[in-house]
Formats: sequence, C-alpha cells, structure tokens
Amino acid sequence: MADAPPILKKPQTIDDYQALYDSLGRAYWEASDINSKDLVQGARESIYDIITDLDEAQLDANTALFLAAEPKIKQTCATLQKIQSDIANITKNITTAATVVDSINKVLGIAAMF
Amino acid sequence: MCYKPKSTSRTQAAGRRLSFGFNPLALFPLLLVVGCAATSTPLARHTADFSGATSLVVDNSENAYRTAVRLHDQEQAAAAVAKYDSDKPWDPHTLKPLINAQGLQARSDVLDGLKAYAQSLADVTNGVDSPQLNAAATSVGTNLQAMGQTTDPTTGVTSGFITPEEANAASTAFKALGDYLVSRKIKSNVPKVIRDMDPQIAAITVLLNNDIAVIRRQSANDYEQLLTQQDTFIRKSGSALSPTERRAEIEKLPGILASKQSTDDMLAYLQSCLTQLALTHNALATAAQNSNADSLQQRIADLHAAAERLARFYFSLPTT
Repeated sequence: MADAPPILKKPQTIDDYQALYDSLGRAYWEASDINSKDLVQGARESIYDIITDLDEAQLDANTALFLAAEPKIKQTCATLQKIQSDIANITKNITTAATVVDSINKVLGIAAMF
Repeated sequence: MCYKPKSTSRTQAAGRRLSFGFNPLALFPLLLVVGCAATSTPLARHTADFSGATSLVVDNSENAYRTAVRLHDQEQAAAAVAKYDSDKPWDPHTLKPLINAQGLQARSDVLDGLKAYAQSLADVTNGVDSPQLNAAATSVGTNLQAMGQTTDPTTGVTSGFITPEEANAASTAFKALGDYLVSRKIKSNVPKVIRDMDPQIAAITVLLNNDIAVIRRQSANDYEQLLTQQDTFIRKSGSALSPTERRAEIEKLPGILASKQSTDDMLAYLQSCLTQLALTHNALATAAQNSNADSLQQRIADLHAAAERLARFYFSLPTT
C-alpha cells in the first residue's frame, strides 16, 4: 500500500512535521484567494511553532554536549602551554649562560682595574 | 683545540681563568651532531597551516550562528507585525532567541577553544628557531667575545683572544643545542597531544554539524515565514499602498527567496568544511606520528581554500 501524502499523515518525527510544513507551503502559494491562504497559513504557523520548539530543544540538548566538550579542549591547551613553557625554559637556560658570561666579563673588567 | 693568549698579563690571567671554564670551539662537535636541527620543521609548517584553516572555519561557524539567531529574531518581529491587529493576542514577552545566551556562550567557548588549540599547536611546534632563542644564543657569543677583550691603558688599543669567528661559532653551537633540545621536547610530546585530541576534534565537528543541520532547517523555515508574512502584508494592504509602493513590496519577495537559498548554501558548505576539518586533523595526527604527510598538505590546502570561499560567501550575503 502506498504511503499517504505528508499532508494526510500523522506526524511522528520532526521530518514528518517538516514534510507537512513544506506541503502546506505549496498549498499556500497555490491557493487563489486570501481567505484560503489565511486558512492554510494558520495551520502552517502551528506546524512552524512545533518545529521551532523541537529545533530549540535540540539546540538546548546540544548545549549540554558543548559544555561537556569544553574541559577537554582546555586541558589540551594547558598541556600545550606546559610544553611551551618547557621550551621557554630551554631558551631561558641559554639566556642564563649568556648572562653568566656577561657577569664574568664584568668581574674580570673590575679585577683588571686593580 | 686551544686558543692562543695574547701577550699581556691581564689576558693571560683571563685566559687561565677561561681554561677552567668554557672553550667555545669545543662546541664544534656538538654543532656537527645537532646542526641539522630543522629551522622550520614539516610539523611546524603543517600546524601553522592547520591553525590558519581552523581559524577560518571557526570564524565561519560563529558567523553562521550569528546569522541564524538574527534571522530568527527578524522572523519573530515580522510575525509580531502580522499578528498585532489580529484576534490572536501577541505578547512581546513571548519573543525567544533561537539559542539562549548560555547556549551561545557554550558554543563560543568551544569554538574559541578549538582556535586556541590549533594556535597553541602552531606556537609550540614553531618553538624551534624562535627569536628569543636566537637572541640568547647570539648574546652568548657577544659576551664571550667581550670577555676576551682587553684595552691597554697606555696605548688605548683594544685586543682580544676570542675572535669574532670563534664567538660566532659559540653562538651557533648554543643555537644548535637549543634547537636540538626544543625539537626533542616537541617530538616527544606533541604527536601524543595531537593523537589524543583527534577523537575530540571528530566529536566536536560532529556536534557542530548536528547544530548546523538544525540551524539549516530552522533558517529555511524562518525565511519561508518571512516570505508568507510579506505576501500576506501586500495582499491585505490593498489600496493602502500606492502602485509604486506595492511594486517595491512585491519585488522584495524574490529577494527573500534568494537569501533563503544563499543562507542554505552557506550552511551546507560549512557542514562540508567541518567534515574536512576533522579529516585534516586526523591526517595531521597520522603525519605527526610517522612523518608521512603526503595527503596532509593537500587536505590543509583544500580546507583553507574552502574556508576562505565560505568567508567570502558569508560577507557577500545581504545583512537585512
């Protein structure tokens, strides 16, 4: 048996509601008088509200998943910062060597004055 | 290899002191061992490119959220106008954003985190050949050279037992040592970070894709509502609109439909960019592990080009 057209089917999923909304949209543009258009659009707006509520609920549910994903990213960024600070330490050690040589140089300069 | 002290007693004293310490030329063998430390490694180049492409995808995603939220607000405002004089009561308090402030903040934090991760990765892997390391290594040589210099108080002539060439050799050796230590640090840590992050990147891009799928549907419906609200307004205005005004209002209808199509194209393209981002990160993780970067370069180039096209596309869209 062939499936009923979306407009006659009881919607069960968001895709069913979307199919119904699209069908009512076509009906709106096909209607020739303003009263028929109003009638169709009235029904279509109710379907639009349902889909919007479902979309908002889905986005809210995704928010929880985004909140759960954030700590792992932060933790990884912290790990990278630690590696970067270790690298900066290597540079610092080289700088320290330069400073030590500079300090010896200054001491030698002072010693030479006596 | 030994240096030859000059004839003054002070330099002899200095030379003796030096002989217990540091001979810059003794670092030459180290230069030979680690002198091949790369100045810009393939990993550094790949992470820098990946960071640039990720930054673009993140910006495009943020633009997509902004567009969707603004559009939904627009639809609600238009619906309010349509319902205002009808028998259905309309309360401005019923206006609701598509994504609330907390939801937008959570998405923004994750997207910013993604950008920060890619940028940190690029910064860390570009630690080799850093300006700070170059400056520090240069100053070792300069200070060594200064240490070997002496000025004769009677003649005022300055002479030295460490030549500029020897000082440069010391600087280069220190630079090589620094590069070696940095690159060893990177090689032993960064591939693991990228590998551990790979499933997270995959999960986040799937999540963003799910979000964009919802936004695509909602945006299409918002445009449809705007279209019928505009049509109803024209039809119900009757003679209240002059022929010129009526013509201008009718002409807005195909514009709304064109915006609907453009926005949907942009969001569909963003979905494909997000999928590409996950695949590129996966290729980066593989390349960081075994240095096989054959397909990675192409993937990064594709991702970058796609993200740039998307950015241009977004900015070409009408804002009203």
